[in-house]
Amino acid sequence: MSTDEPSETAEKHGHEHHEVEGPGYPTPAAMRTESEREKTAFVMGLRVGMDVDEPDFVGVVDVDPDSATYGELVDTVEMPNKGDELHHFGWNTCSSSCHAEGLTRDHLIVPGQRSSRIHIVDASDPREPEIETIIEPEEVFEHDLSAPHTVHCVPEGKIVISMLGNADGELPGGFLQLDQEDFSIDGHWEVDSGDMEMNYDYWYQPRHGVMLSTEWAAPETYYPGFDLDDVEAGKYGDSIHVWDWESKEHRQTLTFGEEGLIPLEIRMPHNPEETEGYVGAALSSNILRFWEADDGHWEWEKVIDVEDREHPDWDMPVPGLVTDILLSLDDQYMFFSNWLHGDVRMYDISDTGNPRLVDQCWVGGNFAERQSVGGHDVRGAPQMLQLSRDGRRLYWTTSLFSSWDNQFYPEMGEEGSLMMKADVYPGEGRMELDEEFVVDFGDAPGGPARAHEIRWPGGDCTSDVWQ
Amino acid sequence: MSTHEVRLVWRDGREAVLSVAEGETVIDASERETLGVPYGCLYGACGTCTGRLLDGDLVHIERPRGLKPHHRRDGYVLLCVAEPRSDCRIEVGAEIQADLVPNPWK
Repeated sequence: MSTDEPSETAEKHGHEHHEVEGPGYPTPAAMRTESEREKTAFVMGLRVGMDVDEPDFVGVVDVDPDSATYGELVDTVEMPNKGDELHHFGWNTCSSSCHAEGLTRDHLIVPGQRSSRIHIVDASDPREPEIETIIEPEEVFEHDLSAPHTVHCVPEGKIVISMLGNADGELPGGFLQLDQEDFSIDGHWEVDSGDMEMNYDYWYQPRHGVMLSTEWAAPETYYPGFDLDDVEAGKYGDSIHVWDWESKEHRQTLTFGEEGLIPLEIRMPHNPEETEGYVGAALSSNILRFWEADDGHWEWEKVIDVEDREHPDWDMPVPGLVTDILLSLDDQYMFFSNWLHGDVRMYDISDTGNPRLVDQCWVGGNFAERQSVGGHDVRGAPQMLQLSRDGRRLYWTTSLFSSWDNQFYPEMGEEGSLMMKADVYPGEGRMELDEEFVVDFGDAPGGPARAHEIRWPGGDCTSDVWQ
Repeated sequence: MSTHEVRLVWRDGREAVLSVAEGETVIDASERETLGVPYGCLYGACGTCTGRLLDGDLVHIERPRGLKPHHRRDGYVLLCVAEPRSDCRIEVGAEIQADLVPNPWK
């Protein structure tokens, strides 16, 4: 049975032994073993910061190897406006609502990072998604918020989006809550934000009533591009925030300083019992582990330090720039990307405090020997990751953010970026670049596009949380 | 109602002349004429619409938050919040924004 069937029937598979049929899967193992191979990928495609006078789109990529159009961008759902910068996106509901009857994972929430416009896309037919409704920027600004980023559905019929700025693109950011039924804005999720000002990504572990959020910078700071003077001026983040998921109050700030500059993507294990996790500090290029100590306070340590590298054409050592990180559904492996170096790493995290590097895939970027795949020049470097539910295929795209792309890999601004894949062998702890699979968004209908976050119909490693 | 003539100049040599009405931003007008000048946030924060003023008088109607003081001294403007007060000549295109932030390690 394919998880690409309209989702109500597709996801029932994981619920045969349950009295209540909700969306998603009862456990991470059920999702990993009982869903079938992904056949469709939704990929954010964007034209912002390019001389392509076209809107951004939700791309539909055929990832079914038995299909005649395998590895092709088979559909593009164009946004009605230009300049959105589609970036991250999420589902109306996921496994966290597994026991809520009547909910179906059938709508994508697709925010524009620059426009602050939020698109609701009906994806009940994964090969024919269509825009259902739109929350216009003015409605978002009314709540003194802007720059939507991470979307998670949360139990009790809500969707919560991390927002990086206020209505002027300055600090503080916050969280915007939508209603799952009609996609109207409820208002701010948070009740008390303590000393939190910057925002970026968040993850939550409902069984323990905890949520953790990270920091990029104010939109007015990171939007125009990366300036080291802004780092020196303290305008970029170096902390993460612990929240009480129930009372929606800020509880604790973990400040990393130099060890954790620009902590972006945050992941906690899929096992709902766990009270720890990892965050990738992009600029420091470290992986930090955090955990709840016996007294209820959270602590942290650095577990991986990506060494800067000397480049003959660069004046200063080049950081890896860890821009994305994900955990396999069985919580055995961590993958992360070094966008300035040009590699994806695979770590065994079965001993969570001592991640063990087991494999690394080099392609593109400033240091990989391999600069083309399947006849396509690799523009950019591995960046946004997505793993198959069974943990056997790792896909990625090569664009980070339009203005940062233009700064570090300007060729992407002219020719678009790529989607690529490695085959992963979890039983052997290794991965191998699939040289046959390249989706070149330079050939997108209407003109070249950048490609950003990837999701599967039926849920994935970075969408689903368990109660 | 007064209008101003704005000449847009791309780095690849392309040029276009735009008539910008009073109360209209350069991006409003370039969109009306479907000239494809890039933009993003539309409120002066993101810098996607960065242009460089070559000649003329152009004012920001909102604070151009996406520009630092040295960018403004060098003539960079944010066209989504910029209105001409005289005929102008402006360098436009996606490449202009990239002038603002060189690679800091290179």
